[in-house]
Amino acid sequence: MKKLPLYLLLTAGAAVMLYPMLWLIGASFKSNDEIFSSVWFIPHSVDTDVYKNAWRTVTPYNMGHYFMNTLMIIVPRTIFSVTSSVLVAYGFARFDFPLKRLFFALLLGGMAMPTLVTVMPLFLMWSKLGYLDTYIPLTVPYLFAAEGMFVFILIQFFKGVPKEFDEAARIDGCGALRTLLYILIPCIRPAIVSIMVFTFLWTMNDFLTPLIMIQSVEKYPLSLALRLSVDSTGQDYEQNKVIALSVIGLIPSVTVFAIAQKKFVSGITAGGLTG
Amino acid sequence: MKKRTYCNPVGVSRFTGLLLISPFILGLAAFLVYPFVCSFLLGLTDYDGIRPPEFSGLENYRYMLKDRTFRKALGVTVKYALILVPLKLTVSLLTAMLLNAEIKGIGIFRTAFYIPSILGSNLAVVIMWQYLFTSKGLVNQLLSMAGAPPVSWYGDPDKAVYMIVLLRLWEFGSTMIIFLTALRDVPKELYDAAKVDGCGPVRGFFAITLPQLKSVIFINLVLQTIAAFQEFNAPYMITGGGPMKSTYTLGMLIYDEMFRYNEQGYANALSWVMFMVISAAVAVMYAVSALMRRDEE
Amino acid sequence: MKNIFLKAAAIGCAVMLSACGKKKPDEVTPPDGKLDKCELRFSWWGGDDRHEATLNAIKLWSEKHPDITIVPEYGGWDGWTEKVTAQLSGGTEPDIMQINYDWLITMSPDGEGFYDLEKLSPELDLSGFSQDVLSFGRVDGTLNAVTVSVTGRGLFYNSDVYRSLNAVYPRTWDELFELGGKFGEKGFYPLDLDIQSGGTAWYLAIVYVQQNTGRQFITMDGQLGFTVDDIKAALDFYKETEDHHVIRTIKSRTDEDGNAALYQSPEFISGNVAGVLEWGSSVGKYESVLPEGVLEAGPFLTDGNGNSGGWMIKPSMLYAVSRNTKHPDEAAAFMNFLLNDKECAKVLGTSRGIPASSYAEESLEQSGMLAGLAQENDEMLEKLDTVTISPYMELSRMKEFYNTAIEKVSYGTADTDSAAQEMYDSITQYLEKIRK
Repeated sequence: MKKLPLYLLLTAGAAVMLYPMLWLIGASFKSNDEIFSSVWFIPHSVDTDVYKNAWRTVTPYNMGHYFMNTLMIIVPRTIFSVTSSVLVAYGFARFDFPLKRLFFALLLGGMAMPTLVTVMPLFLMWSKLGYLDTYIPLTVPYLFAAEGMFVFILIQFFKGVPKEFDEAARIDGCGALRTLLYILIPCIRPAIVSIMVFTFLWTMNDFLTPLIMIQSVEKYPLSLALRLSVDSTGQDYEQNKVIALSVIGLIPSVTVFAIAQKKFVSGITAGGLTG
Repeated sequence: MKKRTYCNPVGVSRFTGLLLISPFILGLAAFLVYPFVCSFLLGLTDYDGIRPPEFSGLENYRYMLKDRTFRKALGVTVKYALILVPLKLTVSLLTAMLLNAEIKGIGIFRTAFYIPSILGSNLAVVIMWQYLFTSKGLVNQLLSMAGAPPVSWYGDPDKAVYMIVLLRLWEFGSTMIIFLTALRDVPKELYDAAKVDGCGPVRGFFAITLPQLKSVIFINLVLQTIAAFQEFNAPYMITGGGPMKSTYTLGMLIYDEMFRYNEQGYANALSWVMFMVISAAVAVMYAVSALMRRDEE
Repeated sequence: MKNIFLKAAAIGCAVMLSACGKKKPDEVTPPDGKLDKCELRFSWWGGDDRHEATLNAIKLWSEKHPDITIVPEYGGWDGWTEKVTAQLSGGTEPDIMQINYDWLITMSPDGEGFYDLEKLSPELDLSGFSQDVLSFGRVDGTLNAVTVSVTGRGLFYNSDVYRSLNAVYPRTWDELFELGGKFGEKGFYPLDLDIQSGGTAWYLAIVYVQQNTGRQFITMDGQLGFTVDDIKAALDFYKETEDHHVIRTIKSRTDEDGNAALYQSPEFISGNVAGVLEWGSSVGKYESVLPEGVLEAGPFLTDGNGNSGGWMIKPSMLYAVSRNTKHPDEAAAFMNFLLNDKECAKVLGTSRGIPASSYAEESLEQSGMLAGLAQENDEMLEKLDTVTISPYMELSRMKEFYNTAIEKVSYGTADTDSAAQEMYDSITQYLEKIRK
């Protein structure tokens, strides 16, 4: 068994990584005082009412409704984001054109500005255009490669694919778009999958922008619904419910990651990132 | 004016690239230039978010020079980035190499190692850190078993920043995934050839893995540096910026000025300084990487 | 040529700026004296109990006024201030809002940020409020908001621990200091003070000085009432509580609890720290982590010579109406319903504290809904000669000044003289800037 040490190492590492998650699930069944006085994750008793209540919420809608709302943001956002980022990254990685350096600097610059200060002007803009309380401010910007980081990652991955591939395709009569579709995208598919997964995970956690842009409780995404009952200024304080809510919020993310992780690594080995 | 030549493949016009990046150019005005110009202009005003902004010239920047909290926050942020970024890249790369092994059940391990990143600044993380680092916490118990004196993690201004660093190290998932994605593309034949030449795993790492991953290391370096300079959530949740402002980052300062103190003009000015610092750091990275490439050639 | 260019740039900047920040406000819609069919937006933050109660109250309203639809907008406390700030700068705020006390200063600096409620409509009946309580909602003389409930910080103790140590709840400051020794022998603490968002450390210190001097720390119109010596006295008082083992030092508190609130601290749950200074309206959180009935309200401290002044009260929250509302009459009617209606009061219960409106309070009293620690605290406070907390005192930046000074004194990086001087200077400077 040569692989035994590796397994031991990975298992130990995984335990450290997973423990808070386990504790979180256990804590959702604990009383307030038990939560803060025991690091051990197994609760004294298990009562699933806390999940039933958390799922039902005090609003007229249940968590399923809010999750569907999130999907209505995530699906277009992912499609928009991947399509636009791939095109733009391809342009930057493979072609030369006027003002290229300036545009690239702007792209990087967009990543260096904290969202905190850009969110206010954008709020005013959407407000003037009359699109507050819709999902447009949360999705449409991604049509325009708004997530500079994705473009940046993809550029580097495109550069890793040897240029001979493109030339071969061109000799076969492929245009720029067909080269992209049939030659380059298959080569960098893992990177594209990771971008899709990042979009999913980050949208799940996105809080400030939807909080400011969305007014109706009916349209709240999951991230807002999960914090609906957290009020540090009030009397009411049921820690286990807050925790149960966060467990509910984590399930989709963990599931998506577990399913997608295979695809991260199934790139073709012939490519090679030799930049 | 001298006419620039565009080095595109034969038959490709210089407009093909422009066409491809047109989504970016179309969105530029609304999603990049407009908020940037706003932020710059608001940085030149006294603005509380409620009354119309009043032009105040360079007053915000002048105030910044005197603002001790700003100086402190800048120092904390630079120190934090310098500690975190190299550590995080190293740990992510080494873990990615482990998780690149082709063994049964590796998918479960990959998921497990990514879970901390999904947790983010979840309450569970905050409470876990309390269990680990408070005076009677696990870390101090282990230290005392080893005969070492207990460490005051939360209360000592020199130590608290390490708790934040550790949190972000533990949440290394995204960096690790990018490494993992790239590692799969390193041709196995290279290692086989190296083995034949009598190369051990350590030399293999330096002779093959690192050079092959140059480009991805660069991506992660840039992304992590930007993230570290913008750090807000981790100190906000774990230490609240304390003790004695020892974990008060630039990101926290901007947030406080923007929303807690309603100094939106000043917050925007601060953001521009953060922007300049990050841009300078990234520019240096590009310059160094260009130099290294030239050396090789 | 150059001049024209500069001018154009300046005009361009001004135009741009108006697209980045708030514009000049629009005209206020005056009331027309009748209730029309319309839709009103009403926003609040809170926990589940408040959401549930308020949604039920809205249901009750819609039975009585089917023409006036209320669209509720609600959420947790996290980020709510940011949300409302953004809405106000974009002019998209709801018609009726639950607001926090210090928002009066930050969101309506000149009394123009919200609708002038005295010009609103006779639909809003203010006769159930004393002039004192009404004055909480005034900015520059303009009635911007109506107080929903009044609260004050009181002392609450772990009765199990006090009994086991044979200690009685302190009545005077001296008794509090004596307890420090008694508790210290066993490694316990009789009280906890913090420099987190609540900032009870500075709060108790100014109560002490206000009681001694009769001067108010920050006056209602935003002037610093304390002298440098008063501030120093307050910091000295704080240092003494640490030295007498009444409370933990900031460092040991942080080491033991991290960044957690006291009700999330094992030290409090296990009883090592046996007292807390908290708003009557949020003491429930502390109650819930101890066995039932263990947390008890203690007396407000006096100097032992019958001087019980200096303790403070404030509105725990208020309702305001948007200055951009198109339906002032209807908004007034709905606000009146929330504040005064007897049936509505029963539905809302104490989800926003003990109502300040005498009509609502009466209704709750008749139905026996007033009980518990919050009520006990409230009754004790009513017997004292209380000081009203200035909204200026509650501003986040001000809290930052207090906490910085306390932290320096506790960590010993500054003596009370220099910390007091620094705090005095920062406060004077800041208040001057804010009041303009």
